Amino acid sequence: MKKWYILMLSLVAALVLFMVLAVFYDSTSREITPPEGTVEIILKSNVGPAMDFWSVVVQGIQDAAREFDVDYEISGPRFEKEINRQINIMDSVIQKKPSLIILAAADYVRLVDSVEQAEALGIPVITLDSGVKSDVPVSFVATDNLEAGIKAGEEMRRLMENHERKKVLIMSHIAETATAIDRERGVRMALGDENIIGTWFCDADEDISYRITTDLLQKHPDLGGIVGLNEMASLGVARAVNDAGRKGDILVVAFDNAVQELSFLEEGVIHATVVQRPYNMGYLSVKAAADYLKGGTVAPLMDTGSVLITKENMFERQYQELLFPVSGIKK
Amino acid sequence: MKRSLTFGTLESRIYTIFTVMIFSAIFVMQLVAFRYTVDTVRTTTIDNNRVVLQQLVKQIDSYITGMEQISDAVSVDPEIQKFLGSDSPFEDEGLSPGIQRTINNYIQAREDISDILIMRMDRSTLTSHTDDRINPWTAIQDKDWFYRAVEEAGQTIVSSSYVQNIIWGRYSWVVSLSRGIKSLEDGALKGVLLVDLKFNRIRELCESLVIGQKGYNFILDDRGNYVFHPTQQLVYSDIRVEPLGPITELFQEGGTWYQEEDRYYMVESSDITDWHVVSVVYESDIITEWKSLQLIYTLIGLILFLIVGMATNKVSSGITKPVRRLQDIMQSVETGEFRLVGEIKATDEIRALAREYDIMVTRIRELMEANVREQEQKRKSDLKALQAQINPHFLYNTLDSIIWMGEMKQSEKVVQMTSALSKLFRISISKGRELIPIHQELEHVKSYLTIQEMRYQDKFLYDIHMDPDLLDLTILKITLQPLVENAIYHGIKEADHQGMITITGTLEENVVTLEVRDNGVGMDSGQLANLIAGLQSSPEERSRMNRQGLGVRNVHERIRLYFGGEYGLVCRSAPGEGTSITVRFPACSGEVLQ
Repeated sequence: MKKWYILMLSLVAALVLFMVLAVFYDSTSREITPPEGTVEIILKSNVGPAMDFWSVVVQGIQDAAREFDVDYEISGPRFEKEINRQINIMDSVIQKKPSLIILAAADYVRLVDSVEQAEALGIPVITLDSGVKSDVPVSFVATDNLEAGIKAGEEMRRLMENHERKKVLIMSHIAETATAIDRERGVRMALGDENIIGTWFCDADEDISYRITTDLLQKHPDLGGIVGLNEMASLGVARAVNDAGRKGDILVVAFDNAVQELSFLEEGVIHATVVQRPYNMGYLSVKAAADYLKGGTVAPLMDTGSVLITKENMFERQYQELLFPVSGIKK
Repeated sequence: MKRSLTFGTLESRIYTIFTVMIFSAIFVMQLVAFRYTVDTVRTTTIDNNRVVLQQLVKQIDSYITGMEQISDAVSVDPEIQKFLGSDSPFEDEGLSPGIQRTINNYIQAREDISDILIMRMDRSTLTSHTDDRINPWTAIQDKDWFYRAVEEAGQTIVSSSYVQNIIWGRYSWVVSLSRGIKSLEDGALKGVLLVDLKFNRIRELCESLVIGQKGYNFILDDRGNYVFHPTQQLVYSDIRVEPLGPITELFQEGGTWYQEEDRYYMVESSDITDWHVVSVVYESDIITEWKSLQLIYTLIGLILFLIVGMATNKVSSGITKPVRRLQDIMQSVETGEFRLVGEIKATDEIRALAREYDIMVTRIRELMEANVREQEQKRKSDLKALQAQINPHFLYNTLDSIIWMGEMKQSEKVVQMTSALSKLFRISISKGRELIPIHQELEHVKSYLTIQEMRYQDKFLYDIHMDPDLLDLTILKITLQPLVENAIYHGIKEADHQGMITITGTLEENVVTLEVRDNGVGMDSGQLANLIAGLQSSPEERSRMNRQGLGVRNVHERIRLYFGGEYGLVCRSAPGEGTSITVRFPACSGEVLQ
């Protein structure tokens, strides 16, 4: 009887002690419980250093994962154009039943089925950089590509003011990807359709872009400027213009910040480039995933922003890290 | 069981009060200790972190110092002096490659140097590699490192981190050391030396010496600009905001650390570079073992509480156990059993209480015994009174007989009967003594038998056989007469034949056995059972029984009262065969038992 008495009182005491200590602790600092499960991240391209953009995205992903204690796995096709391969990867990832999927969709329409299948299985999806034509994703973390396109278009228009030939052509990367669609729309909005000769697609291949541009430079004598809608397209254009000896004669507005592009920018082949913030994109997508898994609210659209870089501001302190990311030394 | 669960008992009250008090004490103590431990851990961690931070700054400093030494050596190199002094240095075939070899030696010795360049005032530049081309699109004179070196001729200028683009096609993150080189001859400024350090080394240092899982370091220059931040892009796009104001205050006015939300900021400044290295530690990393700490404290509290609880229990039961034993013994009074406590293990007060109680109980026992004795005395005297009563029937019957005999002029018989009556009364009084010699008792019964014989006119005969040794032994007076009376009234009187009463006496092993036997009608089993039951009944029950056998019962009871329960009467009887009543009592002479 007394043993019962002691035991009960002791247990009550221990409980009270524990609770009070817990409360006491909570008052000094909040405990962060890491979200459960693995976040599967499917990127558009997995080639590595050659595509600076994605390696910087991965850096942002790594830093955010460390900060928010997120387990993640990254996969993706080798090249952006391998849409079927990305669909296959997406389907096999869904089979693994991850807690969340972050997807950079290689195709605006063809990934919809996979995304909806994930949703049906209760796996939330966050799209990164390029979205899909669906309401399913809980958040879309990307550059506002329409705005980026407008920026590029307006810069081109500004440069055109003192230029005799006003015709512009657009070198796009992949026909059906959301980034290309929005950027093209933005460029067209800023310049007006009447000034645009047309849009060509290079399948995100620098050499194709080079060949098409070389060809077009001869075919269109009234051509005054070219807008390249991504790194590969822009590099092909810049190389073609430079090799044709038409530096300064053909105005080039590019996208992205590959080292070669920046050399061309210094040299004056490329006049301006619209740079996204891939690091922030990777970081914010993982942060959104962590927030969502912890039950927080996530904004349906997160614009990571874009910056117009010219020769004049490229070495400004705030853009240096953006343009010249230090990769490969992160843990 | 129930007793200790209610708050009313001494034990539970002691226990509960003790428990509550001790629990509060342990609780407060634990809380204070916990708080103290948390603070200590935090302070220790921050102190340790400061040591790590100082280590970091020292490493950065020694790194920069090493570079300065190189720049010192290079600036006084005679070949370089010659190169700078010459009007057309590039035409001197041996000069440039010689200097490039020297510079390359330095670069190879220190793998953290990215480049060493020597620039003449006419902008012509000597690179460390022959293949390197100066970026034609950049304006060297606008570069920080160049114009500050020219302005502060002779001083070493340490730049912030930046992307060096002076070599065409190569963009590398560096920290630059630059200084103007003066001619050793006339002291005039001849050129600028640029030593580029790979910024990765500083980056790696900053990223390797971090505290905990989430901690990080960053570097600010004297104007509050970032030299390095691990997530510089987040900082520049305002996704992460560092509290630069308080941090600046910290290194300008001194101070140990600054806390914002769950982050702790510490600053250590480097004099050589004018950089301020900021270390950030997260609270969750400081007290990583919080959960187990909490568990340990709770466990200690629980164990302490159990031990103290057990001890309290021991103490309280040590006090209450003797009290409860006392209580149990005292309760025995209720049942009429007066138990003594005796020697018990308890405190002095309880022992004194027990002693007093024992004395009291002993006194009560004595009083009760005295009371019982008095009661017995009273009963004895009642019996005396009873036996003193002469059956009035017998008396007036006898007197009637005397009268009748007088009328019949049988004077001899009158005398005989009257003298027998007189003897009967004298012996029955016998000066108030209880015990009389057996021969007197025999006289008494003979007188009685004489009277009855005369009254019933040869209805019966009697015979007495007595061991002569018995005659002087004592007997309780009026023992035989009621038995003879019983034999006459219930045996012989009813019988048709002449009766015979035999009285015998024997002595065996100090026990006197007297037997009164008749040959009358006897008793059937029912009557005998009645009589035996009457003998065994208590005095209280006896009063409710009929007068039959009253005399016999009285004899039985008086003998038992005087001599003890093992003595008394034994009856034997059968219908038509008469009755025998045996009296047993211890042999004794004189009035020792009185």
